[in-house]
Amino acid sequence: MIELRNMTKRFGTFTAVDNVSLKIEKGEFFGFLGPNGAGKTTTIRMMTGLYRPTSGSCVINGFDIQQAPLRAKRSFGYVPDQPYIYEKLTGREFLYFIGGLYNIALDILDEKIDIVTETFDLGKFIDKRADEYSQGMRQRIVLSSALLHDPRVLVIDEPLIGLDPRSARLVKDTLKRMTLDGMTIFMSTHLLEIVEELCDRIAIIKEGRIIHEQTQSAPHSFDGQLEAIFLELTK
Amino acid sequence: MRELLLVLNVKANVVLKSLLDFRLQSIFKNLSSFLIFGGVALGVFFLARASTTYLISHAHIGQFLFHRFLSMLLYVFFVTVNIGNLIVCYATLYKSDEVTFMMGLPISHEKIFLLKFVDNFFYSSSTLVLLGLSWFLGYGSCYDMPWYFYFTAVFLVFLPFMLIAAILAVLLLMGLMKVASRIGIRSLIAGAVVIYLASVFIYFRITNPVKLVQEVMKYYPDVNRYFGYLDAPTSKALPSHWVSEFLYWSVVGDPSRALPWFALLLLVAAGLMVLAALLAKRVYYDSWLAASDAREVQSTRTRKFRIRFMEFGRRRFFPPQVDAFLRRDFWVFFRDAGQWLHLILLLVLLLVFVVSLGSLELRSAQPMLQVTSFVVVFLFNGFLLASVLLRFVFPAVSLESESFWCVRSSPVSLNRLYFYKLGVSSVLVLIVAEGLAIASTTLLRNDPVLVGVSAITMALVGLALTGLNLGAGAYFATFKERNPIRVASSQGASLTFLGSMFYLSFIAVLLLIPLKRLIDYSVIRGQMTVETLYLPLAVIATLSLLVFSVSTGVGLRAIRRDS
Repeated sequence: MIELRNMTKRFGTFTAVDNVSLKIEKGEFFGFLGPNGAGKTTTIRMMTGLYRPTSGSCVINGFDIQQAPLRAKRSFGYVPDQPYIYEKLTGREFLYFIGGLYNIALDILDEKIDIVTETFDLGKFIDKRADEYSQGMRQRIVLSSALLHDPRVLVIDEPLIGLDPRSARLVKDTLKRMTLDGMTIFMSTHLLEIVEELCDRIAIIKEGRIIHEQTQSAPHSFDGQLEAIFLELTK
Repeated sequence: MRELLLVLNVKANVVLKSLLDFRLQSIFKNLSSFLIFGGVALGVFFLARASTTYLISHAHIGQFLFHRFLSMLLYVFFVTVNIGNLIVCYATLYKSDEVTFMMGLPISHEKIFLLKFVDNFFYSSSTLVLLGLSWFLGYGSCYDMPWYFYFTAVFLVFLPFMLIAAILAVLLLMGLMKVASRIGIRSLIAGAVVIYLASVFIYFRITNPVKLVQEVMKYYPDVNRYFGYLDAPTSKALPSHWVSEFLYWSVVGDPSRALPWFALLLLVAAGLMVLAALLAKRVYYDSWLAASDAREVQSTRTRKFRIRFMEFGRRRFFPPQVDAFLRRDFWVFFRDAGQWLHLILLLVLLLVFVVSLGSLELRSAQPMLQVTSFVVVFLFNGFLLASVLLRFVFPAVSLESESFWCVRSSPVSLNRLYFYKLGVSSVLVLIVAEGLAIASTTLLRNDPVLVGVSAITMALVGLALTGLNLGAGAYFATFKERNPIRVASSQGASLTFLGSMFYLSFIAVLLLIPLKRLIDYSVIRGQMTVETLYLPLAVIATLSLLVFSVSTGVGLRAIRRDS
């Protein structure tokens, strides 16, 4: 599970995230919404150790990301909004590289790569270099790399940008299945219909502050009202 | 013209904003840049003054011969500016995202070309202009030249001289890019390297400095034959010759004979600029498309280059994280033609330098000359090493690029990543440094004690400069810049290089007196006693370890910054 405790991030005099506290339980699919520049990516970057919070803390699976960064990072997977990968490496080489960083034994890594290749339909391009990839291909490779070490928490920033409808369906089904298997997912997105379809709970952030939290008892129970709520709260 | 001014205005605003940034870190950066650049300018000023005074007043080589040597140095400078522009122009004119963006706007191709060329010229040549200015001030002050000499020499002679080198580079580049679509970029770069090396070799065959000195002795009483021999017909066609002629006639007090050379430089620079603009109108867009196509063809071509034991998924040699870094860096390096071609070029230059030392007779009975030759060769070795480090170690952290997120969000200690980079760089640098030190001193037929001193000093220098370049590279890291050449020619890189030069000069000064004593004793006693070197070597070791550890501390802090 994930717990954000009074997290604040200031860049000089500008406060990007202001005293954010959230608690996401095991197996929960959490949607993090907000207009452009609201502080979503900054929050995620603090959660994953890419930014040091000005104050507050984040605990993932019982490990504080600042106090025990390596143990925390071993327990979650992260998919950034811009899937930059090494252009001179092939998708397969990138997966082996990430597997090495997580200390995964080679025989297990071979199996894992076979599984993600099949799950995300990477077969046609996995042995080509990343400089030939489209945005969608990169996205699928990065998503695969985040799952190699069987994380208990997945933090994803805009996971469906650039995916064609078939790939998007594939990713949505996979993510949903993983929460059913007990994985916790923290997802930031602008796509409200995806949130309605997948998320158990949402929070809306505006100007660095959480302004709304809501639980969805069943898929689509927002009944198309999420857009109206979002527009009203963020105007 | 309006579009050009608009874009230049935006760029000038960006520069102005960074200069007028009053945050503490920026003030510190700008101030340290000012101090270091100012210090170097002062150093060049005094060096120019001292060397000119020595050669003219003490060595009595005469104005004519002095200016011929100057012409050769200017030729080396010309080639350096030319190669520098050729490399950086490829990145700015053919690979830059800004050009791709501008090509989609209603701006004519020749305007884009001119804009990027000017941008590139100032980006890659501003430090050299500063050095040139200091040099002219030092040189001119020896002859008590009037104020307008400096203005003319720097802005109307030296600047056109550099501009000619840069325009020739870009003209050559446009032609080469057209050819690239047919023969491929790799073969093209390899061919260009061979042509360059051949031209430098031919130049020195024509103007042969050793032969020049011999002829002085041979024809010295017969001044006319001596002068007649000095000017090879081909060397008169070179801009370096024009600059040295201008300087010669200016300092001997005959401005009317200096004027034609000055006019020639200005006219050629202006003519070449017009030619470049005309050619850009016809060729630039085509060559830009050809370069893009060539890159696409290159990226879709089936790869045959395989080294099985370094492939991912093979048995690991090291702990998984280190092994992953090693394999990644190996493939990222060798799949980037720019990287390995530069490495080969630099190694060839190192080899040429070492081999050419073998043909010099620098061993002399005079202790001062022995010491001078040893220190000069040490400085040259250090300079070469610093250049290699700046090109390959300084960008090492920046090369983590925007993909750094995957390392930073994985369970890898950033200290481990840093020490991995430091370890790999140090081992490779020590091999090169020791090879250089031992080969150069052995080829100069130095005493084994001096070979040992050189080996120890270069090992310490290698370690210190590796630490400095990696640390400064982490401090000035630019993860958004994908081109390592641009990283290695950034302002931070210039500062680091100047820092390296300061450090090397200090080490050379530390060695000078003890080495003189050592060689004096050896002349008297017939053998070398190394005791006199213990203290300076201890000081060098302490200083080097200090540079290494402070830089490593800075680098470790920098790599953990928010990215």
